[in-house]
Amino acid sequence: MSDPQPTRNRRRPPSPLVAMALAWLLPGVGHVYLGQYLRGAVLFVTIAGTFWAGVAMGGVMTVDSVNERWWFTAQMLSGAHGLVSRYREQRVWNSLATQAGSRRAGVLTEDVRQALLSERKIALVYPMDTVARAYSGVAGLLNLMCIFDAVILAMLWGKGTVEPAGAGRRQ
Amino acid sequence: MSDWTIFVNPMTLRLDNILWLLPPLCLSVAIVYKTIRTPRLARVPMEVFLLLVYMSGGLLALGIVLWAIQEFWL
Repeated sequence: MSDPQPTRNRRRPPSPLVAMALAWLLPGVGHVYLGQYLRGAVLFVTIAGTFWAGVAMGGVMTVDSVNERWWFTAQMLSGAHGLVSRYREQRVWNSLATQAGSRRAGVLTEDVRQALLSERKIALVYPMDTVARAYSGVAGLLNLMCIFDAVILAMLWGKGTVEPAGAGRRQ
Repeated sequence: MSDWTIFVNPMTLRLDNILWLLPPLCLSVAIVYKTIRTPRLARVPMEVFLLLVYMSGGLLALGIVLWAIQEFWL
């Protein structure tokens, strides 16, 4: 865990809830809120890069809330990145439902959904589905770690420096 | 690959190329983990490198063990 006392002086202690919300919404921004600008920037670039690398490889159906719920849950932990991808995915489902003459994509059978996705050349199949979802899902899980760190740093604000486990061994 | 449009269509990936996509993912994990855990940011690049070596070594060892099991045992 990084130093909870950044160099910048603050009048009020930071709120753990705000730190959590910011850290979820935009990865790294929770640390920026705590005054750790460079750390936040590194986290933002790395997590955003990992998430969008997955979407770049897997396409619009990398985030699939209908068929891949566990991956979807992990992807949503990346905040705005996940939400944007979810919006894009939702547009695809709505478009497919319109094409199939139905009001909701959920009523289409799995076979029909896959056929429509394949027709548009956006169906995500093995092995790329594993790789693309692993990248974007791991990005979300990494952000979960950042959220915990930001919340704990906010809670420990003003209570001294917390040394990470094993920090003194390799100095 | 010809149908690939970035962020829209999926890339075509051959199964024997899948392992090349593992090191970048390990690098991301190492960067995020060490950025959070290292008190001084100046030490982060070295810590990331060391963690990457550990992760690669561990995955390589695991791969060798699993290969040996399926080659000589199963």
